[in-house]
Amino acid sequence: MNRHLSILAAAAAVGIVGYAHDAQAQATLAQVKERGHLNCQVGLPTPGFYQLGDDGTWSGIDVDVCRAVSAAIFGDPDRIEYQSVTSAVRFTSLANGESDMLSRTTTWTAVRDTQLGLNFAGVNFYDGQGFLVPVDSGISSTLELDGATVCVLTGTTTELNLADYFRANNMSFTPVTNENVNVLVETYLGGGCDAYTNDKSGLAARRSAFPDPTAHVILPETISKEPLGPVVRQGDDAWANLVRWVLFGLIEAEELGVTAANVDEMLGSDNPNIKRLLGVEGNIGEGMGVANDFMVTVLKEIGNYGEMYERHVGENTPIGIPRAGTLNAQWFDGGLMYAMPFR
Amino acid sequence: MAITRDQKRPSAAPIWSFLNDATFRSIVYQLVTAASIILFFWWVIGNTTANMAQRNMSAGFDFLNVSAGFGISFTLIPYREGDSYLRVFQVGIANTLLVAIISIIFATVLGLFVGLARLSSNWLIRTLARSYVEVLRNTPLLLQIIAWFFGVFNLLPRPRDSIVWLDVFALNNRGFYMPAPLPEAGFNAVLLTLALAIVAAVYIRIWAKRRQDATGQIFPSLSVGAGLVFGLPLVVFLALGQPLSWEIPELRGFNFQGGLSVPPSFCALVIALSVYTSCFIAEIVRSGIQSVSRGQTEAAKSLNIKPNWTMRLIVLPQALRVIVPPLISQYLNVTKNSSLAIAIGFPDLVSVWMNTSLNQSGRAIPIVAMTMAFYCAASLFVSLLMNAYNRRILLKER
Amino acid sequence: MSDYRALGGVPFMPKPARPAPANTTGVVGWMRQNLFSSPSNALLTLVGAYIAYVTIMAILNWAVFNAVFEAESRRECLDLVGRAGACWPGVVAWSRQIMYGLYPADQIWRINMGFLTLILWVVPLWLPRVQSKVAIGLTAVLVYPFLASYWFLGGQAGFVWSVLIAASIACFVWVWATALLESFTGATFGRFVLTLLGVQHRSEQDQRRVLRAVAAAMLLVAYVAVSFWTLPFVPTTRWGGFFLTLVISGIGIAFSLPSGILLALGRRCDMPVIRIACVLFIELFRSVPLITILFMFNTMLPLFLPVGVEVNQLLRAIVAVCLFAAAYMAEVIRGGLQAIPRGQYEAASAMGLGFWQTTVLIIMPQALKIMIPTIVGNFIGLFKDTTLVSIIGLFDVLNMARAVGEDTRWLGLFIEPFFAVTVLYFICCFAMSQYSINLERKLDTGPGGRR
Repeated sequence: MNRHLSILAAAAAVGIVGYAHDAQAQATLAQVKERGHLNCQVGLPTPGFYQLGDDGTWSGIDVDVCRAVSAAIFGDPDRIEYQSVTSAVRFTSLANGESDMLSRTTTWTAVRDTQLGLNFAGVNFYDGQGFLVPVDSGISSTLELDGATVCVLTGTTTELNLADYFRANNMSFTPVTNENVNVLVETYLGGGCDAYTNDKSGLAARRSAFPDPTAHVILPETISKEPLGPVVRQGDDAWANLVRWVLFGLIEAEELGVTAANVDEMLGSDNPNIKRLLGVEGNIGEGMGVANDFMVTVLKEIGNYGEMYERHVGENTPIGIPRAGTLNAQWFDGGLMYAMPFR
Repeated sequence: MAITRDQKRPSAAPIWSFLNDATFRSIVYQLVTAASIILFFWWVIGNTTANMAQRNMSAGFDFLNVSAGFGISFTLIPYREGDSYLRVFQVGIANTLLVAIISIIFATVLGLFVGLARLSSNWLIRTLARSYVEVLRNTPLLLQIIAWFFGVFNLLPRPRDSIVWLDVFALNNRGFYMPAPLPEAGFNAVLLTLALAIVAAVYIRIWAKRRQDATGQIFPSLSVGAGLVFGLPLVVFLALGQPLSWEIPELRGFNFQGGLSVPPSFCALVIALSVYTSCFIAEIVRSGIQSVSRGQTEAAKSLNIKPNWTMRLIVLPQALRVIVPPLISQYLNVTKNSSLAIAIGFPDLVSVWMNTSLNQSGRAIPIVAMTMAFYCAASLFVSLLMNAYNRRILLKER
Repeated sequence: MSDYRALGGVPFMPKPARPAPANTTGVVGWMRQNLFSSPSNALLTLVGAYIAYVTIMAILNWAVFNAVFEAESRRECLDLVGRAGACWPGVVAWSRQIMYGLYPADQIWRINMGFLTLILWVVPLWLPRVQSKVAIGLTAVLVYPFLASYWFLGGQAGFVWSVLIAASIACFVWVWATALLESFTGATFGRFVLTLLGVQHRSEQDQRRVLRAVAAAMLLVAYVAVSFWTLPFVPTTRWGGFFLTLVISGIGIAFSLPSGILLALGRRCDMPVIRIACVLFIELFRSVPLITILFMFNTMLPLFLPVGVEVNQLLRAIVAVCLFAAAYMAEVIRGGLQAIPRGQYEAASAMGLGFWQTTVLIIMPQALKIMIPTIVGNFIGLFKDTTLVSIIGLFDVLNMARAVGEDTRWLGLFIEPFFAVTVLYFICCFAMSQYSINLERKLDTGPGGRR
């Protein structure tokens, strides 16, 4: 009988090992090229950032970062296999090589950057945590929330920020936690909590889907810094550089006024900055292991950062987050979007 | 000499005959199994160490003293946001046990009723009981928990319009509020009396049984015991001038303050668990009662045994033999199923420890190991009880 | 007849029975007997009827009478009825994803074909005249998965996998040839082939050789066929919905039976090391909730394997479900084994049967037969438990339902998809449990089968 058992065990072992391959033997870029597609990790669907359409396609501002990287490598933005996993295993999944990069509203924090074997490649959205309350509650400031019941997404930095904020202001609160936003929203709408807290980008989007959006108000305070950006594995600097500079390229293109529509005529531009960005001059792309004109493809397919923003989370979308005057505006407009120079 | 040699020859087996020896083969099999298990674990541990070294992960338990920093919606034992992860673990265990024990009590009562209703002579009751069992048994518990949460508890009125009962109990969509007992000086004496009364009741029962075995005289140990357990502490309580006051919840600010309260997620979880488990208990009770053949009751009647004695001494012991083992495994299932609390955010062990804490601290190995250790210990404890009971009531075969 | 005449009297003719009293027949009588036999019973009836009415009406009001069936977005639904009625168009728009996940739309026929193959594979089990049902059932569990894996996964099949797929196809042909032959001629497939080749009178050894050659030829033909058969590769990250639920529970069910039997035998065997290993395994996996096992495998399996070895998320979940199911099944089987009287073992021993012969020919058939309702109950439990893979983030039917509410068009639509999934689960589980009751009745024929 144990012979049968050990045959079974051996078969299982062979199966697993046979399935396996050496993920870390070569550089990520070479591996991606050989595989023919990029493994891009996103989270469970979230509107605006990584949303799943009823035709089964992913879209959103975070998805566009992956698509830009795919376009830079393959000249085709859609050579991507999306992996949608819960936040509990997002870093494990990246660390063990299942995903090449994750782009899923992940907050850049010291512990994550230094202790979990990750590298943050930049920031594609500056967010901050806010509160949503019913208008008829008469609350106008978060400081009036002492003793309130607050709905909060679990396992996120949001949950920690909430506790920190109430402790710092010497207030008490009762959390109602869940890892499903819709459950929290339903609870909130049913009156199960006095306030709903999340990143402000999410609050506006959720409110738009309420039976009566005007009956709820987002409180003015922002209680945390949430720089969200793409993450790669630690230990492959070339890959981290590629992702970082594709992101910078998107931001730089907006600054230089290069869009999806005018990228072809911009190829003939006299501006040396544009020439370098589009690979007409210099060898920035080659140095990164991709085509010299990688940004041309990226911009044609995705557009610059501003276009990306307006397409997925801008004012004309259901998410409707205005950009002007926020941290997500370009640096010369008072925002924090600042690409390092392309030279 | 020659004869001896001749006798020996046929039994002289070929050299490989030991291969057919049962004992030898058994030893070889076991050695191979043991070796492969040890090798397997050695391989796993080696891999784990290598992986953790590569990812800069630590398997130590040092994080247990680090401040957790997140809030927990319901805690049976005191907890503040600044408390350590170890405290979170304890909170999780306390919550899990609370849910499990309350659900087990409700499920048993409900299951007994439904089980009896399934045997009712009333067609409608029988059919309702049957549809209750069939519908609830055949939908995933996870979905039922969510349904209770949103279909019932989230639809309750807001705190300002709470359903208030007797001015001391309140029910709204933030939870169920009840008065909290505040023991005053002297209340310990009441508790002490209660403990003494229980010990006395147990002793009387043992003594009565021994006397009955010896002399055949019957002593009403049950009613005397009940009188002791309930009466004596009451007398002491009244004699000491009722040393207990109640803190009554009142509506202040956003919600009711003071008193004891449980959140809606707790109510939804307990009710979903009780209702779901009651279906299985109902079936267990039904089959248990049906398993006692009618002849037993008839025989008891013909021996002129009193009807309530028939139930107590003839039917119940036989039915219990069928009922108890699956019942206990249902109790274990309740404990395990309480882990589904994660779906509605009730902070049980899995939700607050294996999900939130794991997520916030990133210490997968110690956290998973501690969670599994708790469930193993709980189940081992119950299994031991069950095996002891089983041995007592087992039919003696040859 | 003649006896009556011999007695010389009029043959005894009983008077026709009088009709039953009016109050015990018809609707009224039935109600009196079953619903209102006593005042307390009448009260129970009224209370029961009221509870049933209120519950059913509340659900119907929300799900049907107040519901919206045509709308472009959730906003439209909310503007029409608010939250008083369900908003079904969102569920309809997402129905394909709820059933098939993110599987490419133009490849979905493959999933349907895969399940159709399974149905065709097991149909012979219900044909009355088919004899080789055990063999057919075994191939469905052991061989069909290879064919299914190619239907679902596709891509470039390596040599070993191609051979397995070919074997699977050859087996499928054998199943139907056997089914048809046994239904219409009563001869087995082997007998038929031998007759066809005119070798039915040769020695048994020759016949066996011929059959082996025929099997090899079938395999070869199937292999050639497979090598011309290419389906585009669909990675498991695109699997999802009800399809994924079926795959996970299907694999769990298929794996649990054989491994459960082995574990149960191991637990009862007299070699202490093996017994203790089996007991530890069973008790460990039975004492912790499935969700902890899923969590453990999801977060820790990658750590347990050599550096750089990757196992995808679906496989991790499947491994967890399989081990869990095996431990539970082992206990069920053990219950069945305990119910076999010792005399059966002793009789088998007396007949000179060895351990494996006794187990396979005498004990297991009886044990499995007794435990069929429990085994099916276990399958239902496993099927329901697969909802938990949604908690570790696999896009099973529950997570797909959740994704509906994250679509900007249907943002917040959450209760309706859950309701739909609940109904779907109920239908499947109820059908399975009814089938198990039927099976129990059907098998409960001989005195040995009665408990």
